[in-house]
Amino acid sequence: MFGEISALIVLLPVLAFVLTLFLGKKLYSGGALLPIAAIAGSFIISLGTFLEIYPDGMVQQSWPWFAGMNIGILIDPLAVVMLMMVSFVSLLIHIYAVGYMAHDPAKPRYFAETSLFTAAMLSVILSDNILQFFISWELVGLCSFLLIGFWYHKPSAAAAAKKAFLVTRVGDVLFLAGIVLLYVNISEIIATRAFSIEPGNFILQFKTMFEAAKLIDPTQLTLITLLFFGGAVGKSGQFPLHGWLPDAMEGPTTVSALIHAATMVTAGVYLVARTFPMFVATPATISAGVPDALLIVAYVGGFTALFAATMGLVMNDIKRVLAYSTVSQLGYMMLALGTAGAVLGAKAVGISMFHLIAHAFFKALLFLCAGSVIHAMGTNDIREMGGLFGKMKITAITMLIAALALAGIGFPFAGLGMPILNIGTAGFFSKDAIIEGALEYGEVKGDMIPYGMAIIAALLTSIYIFRLWFMTFTGKPRSERHAHESPGVMTRPLMILAIFALLFGFSQAGFYGYVEKNFELMNVEIAVHEGEAFHPSPIIVMLPVIVGVLGILISYAIYNRRMLDMSKIISSGNPIYKLLLNRYYEPKLAADIIGVKLTHDVVAQSGEFIDRKIIDGLVIDNIIGKTVFQLGELVRKLQTGVVQNYASVTLLGLGLLIILLKIRFGGI
Amino acid sequence: MAALISLMILISLIGAIITFLTRTREQARVVALLASGISFVISLFMFLRFDSSIPTIQFAESYPWIGSLGISLKFGVDGIGMPLVLLSNIVIPLTVIFAWGETKQANQFYGLILLELVGVVGVFTSLDFFVFYIFWEIVLIPMYFLISIWGGPRKDYSAIKFFIYTHVASLVMLLAIFSLYFNAWQISGTPNFDMFYLLKNYSVIESTMLKDAIFLALLFGFLVKMPAVPFHTWLPDAHVEAPTAGSVILAALLLKMGGYGLFRVILPLLPFSGSPGKLVIVMAIIGVLSILYGTFLALAQRDLKKMVAYSSISHMGYVTLGAAAIVPLSISGAMYQQFSHGLITCVLFMSCGVIQHSTGTRVIGNLGGIAKYMPKLTFLMLAGFLASLGLPGMSGFIAEFLVLVNSYFTLPNFVILALFGIVFTAGYHLWAMQRAMFGTYNEKLGHIHDGANYEMFSMAVIILLVIYFGLNPNPVLTMMTTNSEQLYTVLKGVVIP
Repeated sequence: MFGEISALIVLLPVLAFVLTLFLGKKLYSGGALLPIAAIAGSFIISLGTFLEIYPDGMVQQSWPWFAGMNIGILIDPLAVVMLMMVSFVSLLIHIYAVGYMAHDPAKPRYFAETSLFTAAMLSVILSDNILQFFISWELVGLCSFLLIGFWYHKPSAAAAAKKAFLVTRVGDVLFLAGIVLLYVNISEIIATRAFSIEPGNFILQFKTMFEAAKLIDPTQLTLITLLFFGGAVGKSGQFPLHGWLPDAMEGPTTVSALIHAATMVTAGVYLVARTFPMFVATPATISAGVPDALLIVAYVGGFTALFAATMGLVMNDIKRVLAYSTVSQLGYMMLALGTAGAVLGAKAVGISMFHLIAHAFFKALLFLCAGSVIHAMGTNDIREMGGLFGKMKITAITMLIAALALAGIGFPFAGLGMPILNIGTAGFFSKDAIIEGALEYGEVKGDMIPYGMAIIAALLTSIYIFRLWFMTFTGKPRSERHAHESPGVMTRPLMILAIFALLFGFSQAGFYGYVEKNFELMNVEIAVHEGEAFHPSPIIVMLPVIVGVLGILISYAIYNRRMLDMSKIISSGNPIYKLLLNRYYEPKLAADIIGVKLTHDVVAQSGEFIDRKIIDGLVIDNIIGKTVFQLGELVRKLQTGVVQNYASVTLLGLGLLIILLKIRFGGI
Repeated sequence: MAALISLMILISLIGAIITFLTRTREQARVVALLASGISFVISLFMFLRFDSSIPTIQFAESYPWIGSLGISLKFGVDGIGMPLVLLSNIVIPLTVIFAWGETKQANQFYGLILLELVGVVGVFTSLDFFVFYIFWEIVLIPMYFLISIWGGPRKDYSAIKFFIYTHVASLVMLLAIFSLYFNAWQISGTPNFDMFYLLKNYSVIESTMLKDAIFLALLFGFLVKMPAVPFHTWLPDAHVEAPTAGSVILAALLLKMGGYGLFRVILPLLPFSGSPGKLVIVMAIIGVLSILYGTFLALAQRDLKKMVAYSSISHMGYVTLGAAAIVPLSISGAMYQQFSHGLITCVLFMSCGVIQHSTGTRVIGNLGGIAKYMPKLTFLMLAGFLASLGLPGMSGFIAEFLVLVNSYFTLPNFVILALFGIVFTAGYHLWAMQRAMFGTYNEKLGHIHDGANYEMFSMAVIILLVIYFGLNPNPVLTMMTTNSEQLYTVLKGVVIP
């Protein structure tokens, strides 16, 4: 029953978008209740669909669109867990926003845009073909652009919105190129009769893609997957297209929580997971200049995880710390797909998606807590905060839970062979599995670099998040601002998310079992590395937790006990500190050098010069123009100003033309 | 049923004459709206009655005219012409509504707009090459006056440049038409200006040189009109000085005549020209050059309207590229790009017009933060800009997607180059929006007001159409594809080196 009406998952928020946009002004709280009701509807349908199709069903619906393309719905395990997460988190954030945005006069626009965003994001998830996926993907990008620039009168917000759109656009063009290449390759194998599409199926559907993947030339397939990955790098803020995400914090905090933490930025990871059979089908050895697609995914992810974490250490804007943390955690998800994908096959999708969803809960929670603090303090700067624990207990405690989850705190009883369950936060379960996957990859492939990056990043994660927490909530207040706890409409979503951040991890085994089956249901085989069972030593099993606790202790020592005064150890002129604070000079490189200097000042301006001075000035005006003008001077002498003369000359000319043509073509 | 096309042309023509004769601007605009509105209803009726499954000419009419020279009044539409007839009839009434507040010599102003409708519908429906050429030239004259009377400070220079440039191109084209005509006359012994007849007889010309000369002359005539780089420099000047209504018609309809020529004349001749493979490469180079060059030039502009003008060059490059790729769906995509760009560009030029009217300037650097006082305009303009940069869900995406995907079969390297331009296309659109509309309000602009309701209405209608045709391209795309598949039956023999 729910499966049949699953189109409503997308259509309800679309309807809410239209209504809120036009009627929002007249309704309570800018029409907030419309999107809340619609998204609640989407959540209920998603949940109902899940219950219907669990454990091994799917929903598939498809309608022809244009030129052999289609629009369709595919709800498989991978999609349904995402649908439930996105609609649920979006619902909570919409409720929270009623309080957070209470004093903003542009509420109808806010709620309309977040509602459209939710619709587009849900459409990304349940697309059954790559074109609809891409279209929805672009629409979430549009909503992100609009919401980052929500306060468009702020020049920094307008600039950040533009940067977000353009940087992700680089990835989108790669993604589009991948689709072009895929379409052409499938068409060619159809033309050679090696492959055919059954009636009712369409060329860019995922199932067609997966079937065709085996027949496409391996070099082309690798290229296609890498182009897709290029799109994912842009959307999920992976190196080197990561710079837009921290700038995106110019938008309202609820937007950061919804779009730039829990949902849209994970679309890149989802894309790789969704097209995972193609990644796995690429040749796994580096031969004849063909790179290993999964290896690239793993290294980009691992490097980003580490690279972003270093910048998270020095940021003073509470939201920017969280933004770098998001970039870093998305790196972990990519790392999981790349490393575990190479050795564990389809399990990698489960591992990555589990972290994606756990991260959505605790990162949305972190952002909403940050929003609560910002709402209370009126500033983003953690140097002006401090001592808020007593004044904002709910926010402080829920944020502590989220921080523990991010740091991956827990205890691996079962991992050490004890007959009891592992106990820990959601992040403990999800991140441990990734690090373990990277380790197994290292053992099998003899390449420990991804594992090393993951472990170091875990240490840095724990340090930066507890630096944030200690500086915000403990110690003495560092400014005169008067803080107060946020209203219930804001704190209740915090508590609900905190419960998920604490308990979601326990669903790990069931989650893996369910999501791993995803590609089996689609009759896609994914090779698994066959080898001895993997039993790391206890110290290795404990290592992620050890670095997590170590990070907390370091932060406690520095930022709570003040045992070390960082300003004495590292001067503000320290080159490494400056490098990190200036974000490796990426904003300067992207905006000033590539954007303004190279593109505008050099290429565009020289084009302008060619156009005006050479094509128009030299060729048209001087050479052609002057010649015509001099001819005209000659002719002017013939100008008598008498109409009869003109008429006779015209007739004469016409006669001459006809005679000439007669001579040329002979008798007429 | 019969004679719908000539009825449409006659109504616009009579409407234009009556408009010229009216005494007040109120009368003039009502008559203009009425005439173009009736014309729109006829075109919509035709569109709905059109059979998309056959590639033949529909609503055909034929009247003898100058029998001794084989000239007759033949009209009709197929999947190539029908969408453009509809487009013309959508754009002209909305332009009249947009320009509802015109005060200067209003009767002539609205009359000239209606004459443009006569001209473009004539071009898109004429099946007699001589009559086609007459309409082709008719289009120039009202535009010349629209620029030279209602234009900006350098209107005389621009109007003359526009006229001479496109007129020279027309004359070159005329020579080619005459060559086709006399050639066919020589073979059959009877004069006949029928367009399909002349095109069919192209293949029997013996001299390869003459064939190439005719082909290149026709191609030149159409490429100047589109305009394609490097024959484009008349366009930015014409737009900068033209009144908003003139710019809208110029970009939305007049440029489409060039693209129409590619499908109607150039592609059927291509397989029989002396060296089709090389000519395809020439067209592909011109197409991609236009895309990239237009994009980078748009990026360099300080004047918002000039930026939009260069964006037209870039978008029309897709038409040339898609036509050059000679794959059925790339040709359909190119046709769809014509239709789509015709709609989208209206919103862009209308936005420029509203901004200039309200603030007195179009220089991007002198604007800033005007979204604060012009929220309605900003909303519609942003929608238009997003459509123009190829946002999915809007018509431009469908067109560009079809062109890029299908051109890759025959011209992969050119497609890669074109893809490269997409980021920069987004770049200049958003950069202009950011600096002109967003950020802190530039207090030097003083008190400004939002666009008038009739202006906002026209823009909103077009945005809705852009979204509709972005979500449901089939009503237009199906008839285009029927004809592009028919074109392909002769084009598939062409080998691209």
